[in-house]
Amino acid sequence: MCADAAIRCQEGEVDEAELLRRLDEVVRDYRGKPGALIPVLQIAQGILGYLPVEALKRISLGLQVPYSEVAGVVGFYSYFSTIPRGKHVIRVCLGTACYVRGGKDVLEAIKHELEIDVGGTTEDRVFSLEVARCFGACGLAPAVMVDKTVHKRVRPMKIRQLLAPYYEMESMQEERHVG
Amino acid sequence: MTTQRMHIGMCLGTSCIASGAIEVRDALLRELAKNGLKDKVDIVQTGCNGFCANGPIMVVYPGGFFYQKLCAADMAELTQEHLLKGRPVERLMFRHPKTHQVIPLFKDIPFFARQELRVLANKGHIAAERIEEYIGREGYEGAARALTEMSPEAIIAEVEKAGLRGRGGAGFPTAIKWKLCRAAAGDRKFILCNADEGDPGAFMDRSVLESDPHAVIEGMIIAAKAIGAREGWVYCRAEYPLALERLRTAIAQCHEYGLLGERILGTDFCLDIRVAEGSGAFVCGEETALMRSIEGKRGEPRPRPPFPADRGLWDRPSVLNNVETFANVPLILRHGADWFRSVGTRTNPGTKIFALTGKVNNIGLVEVPMGMSLGEIVFDIGGGIPNGKQFKAAQIGGPSGGCIPLSHLDIPVDYESLTEIGAIMGSGGLIVMDEDSCMVDMARFFLEFTQEESCGKCPPCRIGTKRMLEIVTRICEGQGEEGDIERLIELGETIKDTALCGLGQTAPNPVLSTIRHFRHEYEAHIRDKRCPAGVCTALVRAPCQNACPAGVDVPGYVSLIGEKRYAEALALHRNRNPLPGVCSRVCFHPCEGKCRRHTLDEAVSVRGLKRFMADQEVVTQLPEIRESAANAARKVAIVGAGPAGLACAYFLARLGYRPDVFEAESQPGGMLVQAIPAYRLPREVLAREVGMIERLGVDIRTGRRLGRDFSLESLRADGYQAVFLGLGCCQGTRLGIPGEDGPGVCEAIDFLRGFNLEGAREVGRSVAVIGGGNAAVDAARTALRLGAKEVTVLYRRSQDQMPAFAEEVEAASEEGVVFEMLVAPLEILRDGDELRGVKCQRMQLGGFDRSGRKRPVAVEGSQFEIAVDQVIAAIGQQLAGADCVSELRRSRRDFLLADPMTGQTSAPWIFAGGDACTGPASVPEAVAGGERAAVGIDLHLSGKAHAFWREDAQPDTLFDPEADPVAYPRAACRCIPADRRQGNFKEVEGVMSEAEALREAKRCLRCDYRE
Amino acid sequence: MSDDKKITSVEKLRELKSRVKREISLREDGYQACVTVHMGTCGIASGAPEVLDAVLDELEFSGRTDIRVTTSGCIGVCSREPVMTVELLDEKKVLYGDLDPDKARQVFRDHVLEGKVVPRYVVTLGDGA
Repeated sequence: MCADAAIRCQEGEVDEAELLRRLDEVVRDYRGKPGALIPVLQIAQGILGYLPVEALKRISLGLQVPYSEVAGVVGFYSYFSTIPRGKHVIRVCLGTACYVRGGKDVLEAIKHELEIDVGGTTEDRVFSLEVARCFGACGLAPAVMVDKTVHKRVRPMKIRQLLAPYYEMESMQEERHVG
Repeated sequence: MTTQRMHIGMCLGTSCIASGAIEVRDALLRELAKNGLKDKVDIVQTGCNGFCANGPIMVVYPGGFFYQKLCAADMAELTQEHLLKGRPVERLMFRHPKTHQVIPLFKDIPFFARQELRVLANKGHIAAERIEEYIGREGYEGAARALTEMSPEAIIAEVEKAGLRGRGGAGFPTAIKWKLCRAAAGDRKFILCNADEGDPGAFMDRSVLESDPHAVIEGMIIAAKAIGAREGWVYCRAEYPLALERLRTAIAQCHEYGLLGERILGTDFCLDIRVAEGSGAFVCGEETALMRSIEGKRGEPRPRPPFPADRGLWDRPSVLNNVETFANVPLILRHGADWFRSVGTRTNPGTKIFALTGKVNNIGLVEVPMGMSLGEIVFDIGGGIPNGKQFKAAQIGGPSGGCIPLSHLDIPVDYESLTEIGAIMGSGGLIVMDEDSCMVDMARFFLEFTQEESCGKCPPCRIGTKRMLEIVTRICEGQGEEGDIERLIELGETIKDTALCGLGQTAPNPVLSTIRHFRHEYEAHIRDKRCPAGVCTALVRAPCQNACPAGVDVPGYVSLIGEKRYAEALALHRNRNPLPGVCSRVCFHPCEGKCRRHTLDEAVSVRGLKRFMADQEVVTQLPEIRESAANAARKVAIVGAGPAGLACAYFLARLGYRPDVFEAESQPGGMLVQAIPAYRLPREVLAREVGMIERLGVDIRTGRRLGRDFSLESLRADGYQAVFLGLGCCQGTRLGIPGEDGPGVCEAIDFLRGFNLEGAREVGRSVAVIGGGNAAVDAARTALRLGAKEVTVLYRRSQDQMPAFAEEVEAASEEGVVFEMLVAPLEILRDGDELRGVKCQRMQLGGFDRSGRKRPVAVEGSQFEIAVDQVIAAIGQQLAGADCVSELRRSRRDFLLADPMTGQTSAPWIFAGGDACTGPASVPEAVAGGERAAVGIDLHLSGKAHAFWREDAQPDTLFDPEADPVAYPRAACRCIPADRRQGNFKEVEGVMSEAEALREAKRCLRCDYRE
Repeated sequence: MSDDKKITSVEKLRELKSRVKREISLREDGYQACVTVHMGTCGIASGAPEVLDAVLDELEFSGRTDIRVTTSGCIGVCSREPVMTVELLDEKKVLYGDLDPDKARQVFRDHVLEGKVVPRYVVTLGDGA
């Protein structure tokens, strides 16, 4: 268990330097384009999984936008995260239709199952939990989005089944790493 | 390209994919290959079809056969049967929610049939990712006309003539926006599309982008030419990955086909459109915030003016329209302004798309002419409310909108009418709520939303909504205080006037509108500490108990029955309601309506258990009494020995009072003895429970009528310090038609009272009962038992609108009572004095009335006569003995006005309750009214409240919360067969056996259980 | 990017439109003809499925896309099963009875494709059909 974590951690560090280099390329592409900051932040988060200070500094320098402004924009939008997030982001819809049909109970069940709060990430960094306002899938309420997949009419009792495939995916990848 | 024999429109919208549409498509492809149909059947991958709750969906052409709720395993059968043999598969088709009839064709399904598909005409019809198919359906014809034949001024004139108004919410005329921007100085202008559909519960923009993205692009091309823009942006929220993908694909195709970029369609016109993806900020739907966000800044709104038409994106003149607005534009250019105006109203032409969700049978997108009534949308298209529940309100306009109550179902849905009643059109999210939705909780939900989404720039929005949320949360938690409602209104009005942007200014709307239409729910939370819908957890011990007007501890006595502790169970019931025997026969059991067991299989048979419990008692036990010499010395008079008066006497006696009850008739019981027939309520059951109350020291004096034998003044002179008026509501209402006066016509309550108290009543050979309430059904069943050969109930509305309990109507039909629905009497026909019949008229259902029901309207030339020799009128009851209490204030419906918490009337020493205050209602409601007045009288006389019975205690019965619920089904109710009910008044309903009762009691899920 | 796809004029837009229109006409509501094979229990027992197969076969062979073939339940003329209704646009319905695959093929070719009623197999003409 400890060994696994160490391997992942090491890889993570190696990766991050490489990933930051990729970010620099993106920043170069966008330099001078109007309105570049937000798309670059979105791509950066896509590459790194979150927005570490180092990335924000590079973006600030590369796009010649004051760091305070970069940080201000990151703080404003709920999609941006400056803390590491899980590999899979669970978004529980609490839009009106989902709320009326019991979305709150689903959220409670997930919190209970993963032992994290809204905005939190599990210790193994597999899942992060967020609340969303309407995916426009009101016909399927209550809905939960994991990454880009919408799960419909989620029942609190069935949370474990819903999350199981993602755990399986993780353990398979892990085997590959170790193997 | 070969022409295929069949096309299958397969919905691959977000919702259908979530329901498994990809797996279904792949299975279908495999089956087609297996059966050699690969080249003969084309699968058209369409965007969102709009009937999202029924996905995955496919439509088979030719014919337009609609298949729903598909799974991969269905594809083999579908291919074999329909695709190969041409035999459509009924099993997979839509069924009418009420009649359960199969409806094979897409166009015949009521959900689609009543719609006016214009903007959504391509949904489910074309492959969203193939630009050719859009072109094949007249796509880009509007742009072609605009670019090659029309000047910018002519385009604006056409849109102005059409009267198109912004579909994003406020309804601002689109042409005026364009005109201002066209006139603005500067050669660099922007055309912007708002696809940041943030209102929870609205998803029409997503659907349009997924199913018909080119319609939006075409609209933007036309608008760009009109205002002189060469650059465009679509701002779309990140929560819509599929819509973003389709949009980007469509833009790329347009470049490929020369419909975007340089020299479009060979003209000098050029336009580039780029996509900006949102990053999760609701406020970016506000136009100035959206523009800042495209610029790469924090999406904070700024004050206007300057308006975007002068200084918008990067301070250049810009026009921002919403997705649906743009999608309307090509249609106007293609078909002309007159065509556009051919539906909708004069000031609101065209159609509007609504996202119909919540507690409604058909969930999905509906496109209807502007001005259609809300009732038509919810009931005719939406198919009404599931599980037979009552419609309570529709929430429209999202967090900026408001609620529309039952009494406004007839409202035409257009910008002005909605604003008038405190809602807004908004983007068109229409969320239906039923009796199980708490309006205070909904207000809290929306406030929480705006609070979280407030960008924080201006204090009224940031701090004001937070204050409002604190107050509403407190109310939901049972900590509400007097004055909270006024504080909310004041805060709301201030925020409305002072917030910087639209989001802030409209944030108080959900609260203000629920206060406006549902103030009584706020008051119930604040004063009564009760959540009538049973939603607010802090106020609800168990939904059944919460639903009981008398507040009886249902799970408590049910679990005691389960342990054979019948005496304790009865004592627990009597703690809140002294009439378990009576209620076990006549209560309409609202507890069962809210039973959570219903979500598993069926509700617990609470009334059946109560009947079993009541039948177990041999010697009637007395409840806990707190003797008080001081109270015994205070004289209290109770007028009327109906359930309200009896309950008031009972609870006063438990506090040590010795009230005197004055009853006008010869027997105590009120409606229980006068109106309810013995086959429903055996008289000895009532007598036992009245006797129990008398044994508490209550003196019941019959034959003493208010106004004849005594008066309020004489009571005062006799030393009574307080009076409770349980006058009831047994005065009949006249029919008001010719021929009414004379022999053969009587009033239902008079008829029933005459038989029940005097033991005999003349009955005709064939009898017409006019009305649809419980009195009408009781009179009809009594007439039949007294020897009438034919009994017909005439009711001017439809059967599902009858106020009578469905079980009673069913029992009456079994016994042979004929129900003629949608019939109104016009005249009582007579030969000389003798009654010979009723002249009637057929009715049909029209628009919705204030009661939320469809109004009966006369059918021209449909008059007919029925031959009868007796008519019993049962069309409503009024306050009894009204002349004797003329100094007291009356309610709008002309009943006695009393404080809902204490029963105190406008004269401080006089209290009232039961039907006299509410109009004809149920036994438990009357009991509750009597109890509240008893507490009120005690408070008035002693200065303190002593209602010790109101404290709930956790029953000490065993319960294992970890165990699975027992599996057996609801115990059936046993009745004696209809042929053995003729000519007698034996009790119809039977009682369950002990074994059945013990099993039934275990079905309770114990919602009251707390760890 | 291939330039040959570029629509450089309104005329070219209309050319493309009319070409695609033909392809997707199957999805439109309008039909030139509608053939209904009645598939009640008695119909199926007397050979209606074979009749339907023959009709579908003919339809495919004809290459027409404006003809709709459907099935429906029993029509109540059980003694004449298998039966089939043919309805041409703007013309009266015709009910044919005592069919077999060959007769059905003839009805399809003569009536549906050519517009000539086949009197030999007619059960009823007009709305009674």
